[in-house]
Amino acid sequence: MKFIKIIVLFTITLTFSNCDNLFEYSVYEANVKEADKNTTAKNIKLLENIKLESQDFKFAFITDVHYFYNNLRTVIEDINKRDDILFVIFGGDIADQALLKEFEIFSDIMQNLNKPYFTVIGNHDYNSNGSVIYKEMFGDYNYSFTFNNNKFVLFDDIIWESNKDPDFDWLSLELADNGNFNQVFAFAHIPIVVSDDLSFEMKETYRSIMIDNNVSLSIHGHTHSYFYEEGIVDYLIVPALKELAYGVIHVKDNLFNVEIIEL
Amino acid sequence: MKIKNILSAFIILLFFTKLYAQGPHLVKDKAWYIPDYVKMQFAGNIGVVSVGAGYQLFDKVLYSELLYGYVPESVSKADKIHLITIKNTFPVFRKEIAKNLTITPIAGFTTTIDIGTTTFTTLPSKYPDDYYVPTAFHFTLFGGVMIHKDFINSKMTNGVDFYVEMGTVETYLWYGITSKEVGLSDIFSTSIGINFYL
Repeated sequence: MKFIKIIVLFTITLTFSNCDNLFEYSVYEANVKEADKNTTAKNIKLLENIKLESQDFKFAFITDVHYFYNNLRTVIEDINKRDDILFVIFGGDIADQALLKEFEIFSDIMQNLNKPYFTVIGNHDYNSNGSVIYKEMFGDYNYSFTFNNNKFVLFDDIIWESNKDPDFDWLSLELADNGNFNQVFAFAHIPIVVSDDLSFEMKETYRSIMIDNNVSLSIHGHTHSYFYEEGIVDYLIVPALKELAYGVIHVKDNLFNVEIIEL
Repeated sequence: MKIKNILSAFIILLFFTKLYAQGPHLVKDKAWYIPDYVKMQFAGNIGVVSVGAGYQLFDKVLYSELLYGYVPESVSKADKIHLITIKNTFPVFRKEIAKNLTITPIAGFTTTIDIGTTTFTTLPSKYPDDYYVPTAFHFTLFGGVMIHKDFINSKMTNGVDFYVEMGTVETYLWYGITSKEVGLSDIFSTSIGINFYL
């Protein structure tokens, strides 16, 4: 009888144990919490509430958090203090091993941001069940939004981890209406400059799509260090959050200006 | 459905090892490869349910087990997950709390390999050298309490362990230690299990 009593006692203790995750079954689970789903759609709604009179605003670009969570929080708090930055774009590698736990930690930290944010998928995010988790938690891999008559196109150019080629047809089609906008900005995790992950043909295809569609600036992460190339289309790589650094892009009429903030 | 299959496999395993262990010999004479117990665990990052068999080694200083764990699609929200785990449990001390009933604080670790298609044990050739570390291996650390009950003259089993553990994964623990943003409640979870002695 005493044996049964102890088992009952254990069961009760267990039930009242105040763990966030009472039971976990595998690191590879893709069971995204309801509250964490559809982040992209939710943030597009938030962005729609921001109305501007002038063609003069700033947005921030942060990228490659991997597991540098303290730095992510520090950068978020710094961006929060700046009223001139209206929204944030995250350049991929949300996770390091693409575990649900990593996506959840990222999402929890980003809850502290007092502005809308948008993500582009990184190569690390595709591993294991990461692509499933990303789709549930954020939404489409390729998408775009408009703000204050400017277009922002976020493009998935991950090839090895996803076993597919970048959807350049989608990119061309999405940029075809560029004439309707003041400026167009493109974002993809892997850059066509510095990095050799993409094939020569892919890089050339991307480059010509950028030129043909009058893209102002193409912004990337992945290589973890700063790079800037001026041309018909400019290319920017922002350092990883391994450094306490982020990019600020100042958009004014038909011009833009890039600044790297180091904390 | 698959969980049901695993439970059936567990019962069959229990039945046959029991049959072998009894045989014409005394329990003490059983062959070295016959496990000392069969077990079943719920949760703990080694499957929703994991089943297997184990040995009490070095005069019961170490409980070592081989387990197969499974996560169905309905829980993983992706493909089925299959995990092979070696679990090592160390009893810290034993305290008799009643006749044939002992309580034991336990601590230990597991090594788990994912045998699915979304992970890799060696870096696929398409990647440059050292692009990723293998994604199929993980380790868990745990501590808990085990209660052991001896059954004398029972045809079914010589004894039963019932245990409850709190555990975490090596990656989670690393994040918990290195980041202010990751708390203990984010990384620890619970598991429960039973061992049946043959």
